[in-house]
Amino acid sequence: MDDTLSVLARVDAAKLKSFAETLIPDLGEIEVLQSQSGLVMLPMRDTAKGVAFHLGEILMSEAHIRKGDMQGYGMRRGHDLEASMAMALVDLAIAAEVRSADCRAFCDAQAETLQKADEDVLRRVEATRVKMETC
Amino acid sequence: MAYVATRGGERAIEQSERLFREEMGPFDRERVVEVKKSLPYLIDRVMGEASLYDEDLAALALAQTGGELYEAVLLLRAWRTTQPRLQVAAPIEQDCLFTHRRISAAFKDIPGGQVLGPTLDYAHRILATDVLQGETYAPKPVEPANKPSPAYQPSVSAWQAENDLLDPPAEDPTKGNDIPDLTREPLLFPSKRAHTLQSLARAETGGVLALGYAAMRGFGQAHPTVNELRLAEAEIAVTHPDGRQFSAGRVKVSQAEVVDKKDEQLGIGYAATFGWNEVKCIAAATLDLNSPGAEKGSPTEEEFFLYHTEGVESSGFCIHFKLPHYVTFQSSLDAMRDAKAKKEAGAPKQQEPAE
Repeated sequence: MDDTLSVLARVDAAKLKSFAETLIPDLGEIEVLQSQSGLVMLPMRDTAKGVAFHLGEILMSEAHIRKGDMQGYGMRRGHDLEASMAMALVDLAIAAEVRSADCRAFCDAQAETLQKADEDVLRRVEATRVKMETC
Repeated sequence: MAYVATRGGERAIEQSERLFREEMGPFDRERVVEVKKSLPYLIDRVMGEASLYDEDLAALALAQTGGELYEAVLLLRAWRTTQPRLQVAAPIEQDCLFTHRRISAAFKDIPGGQVLGPTLDYAHRILATDVLQGETYAPKPVEPANKPSPAYQPSVSAWQAENDLLDPPAEDPTKGNDIPDLTREPLLFPSKRAHTLQSLARAETGGVLALGYAAMRGFGQAHPTVNELRLAEAEIAVTHPDGRQFSAGRVKVSQAEVVDKKDEQLGIGYAATFGWNEVKCIAAATLDLNSPGAEKGSPTEEEFFLYHTEGVESSGFCIHFKLPHYVTFQSSLDAMRDAKAKKEAGAPKQQEPAE
């Protein structure tokens, strides 16, 4: 899976919007192909027979933009069209090599934040590890 | 069954809805936020039964209906039909689940070990009545371990298959829109496995528990042992227009495997749902375990349990009985009066056909 896109999809919405806004003057004119919310169906693998089945649908926001031959795409959970557009702007900036270093630095910093948050959760989960003994 | 259109009562109908909503009073985003924050397990249950994952929408549905669960789920199911489908994500694989809780009642030393995660399993069930006297209920904080728990673990059944205790599942290459989908196709019997599991995933928790419990108590063919119970977060693996796959976020999911001895190997049942709802998963997996060869009309027969655990249809059918049935009932009264008159006249009794 693409790490950069995966980070942009999970990063705090306020931080993402704030950073993406700074890219707008440098990106110049862009074409918005899609900006909408809708549903993504999520299938799961059954461990008994190996069959894929649908768990249900998730509300997502999506943005698809273009600048010349380059495209940017954003998809995030929930109804927040600004956040999915911000994700698409960062994706487009990386593809078009507009302030690439800033984009990389932003994504790296956010990846670190997300990883630390995951680790904090898993340390708390580890506190509940149990070693059963039968009498 | 006969139906009749009725007229009249428009004002009463309008006032009755007002009377219902008056009890909740006006509500705003703040109440929705409070419902979402304070009732995460109820939110999970509603999202699972609605088959629609969004905590804000689920909290809104609960606030709008005053917690009338069937109405809340119906609102969400109706709302989802108004939305476009953007994509079908890649299927969640068990070894990619970000795991918060993973336990087994079958094997104490499962590979990766057991983590209890968030649970009230071993809690004293004491109501915190002090809160009603003005005290604040402040739970003790978790003391985190020095090292993190491994986030990703294979299913216990995969380990059992490696040890010849179970038949390994066949590979299923079906993906995307080719996966059978109950929201776009009818449920027919014998049911496709994908339909069965999707139907159980969105089934009403109480209904699944009632029928699963019946199977556990002996009205089934197999007694379940929980092979694995897992609460986790799953990645939503979607595709960028240029073909790159990425995770568009995570959602909470629960899954259960239950097993029973079957000849020389184990029989296995499986179920999963949106949100963290382990009672539903264990009961649903028990029904799955029991369904092969179940007697027609028994609680563990798939047509029986799938039809009767569909919450929107069953609650809708139940409440329709309170709507006007005047013609039907009048006809029944006429038949009763006729039978009584014939009996009093000494006429021979005639068998009435079933309605």
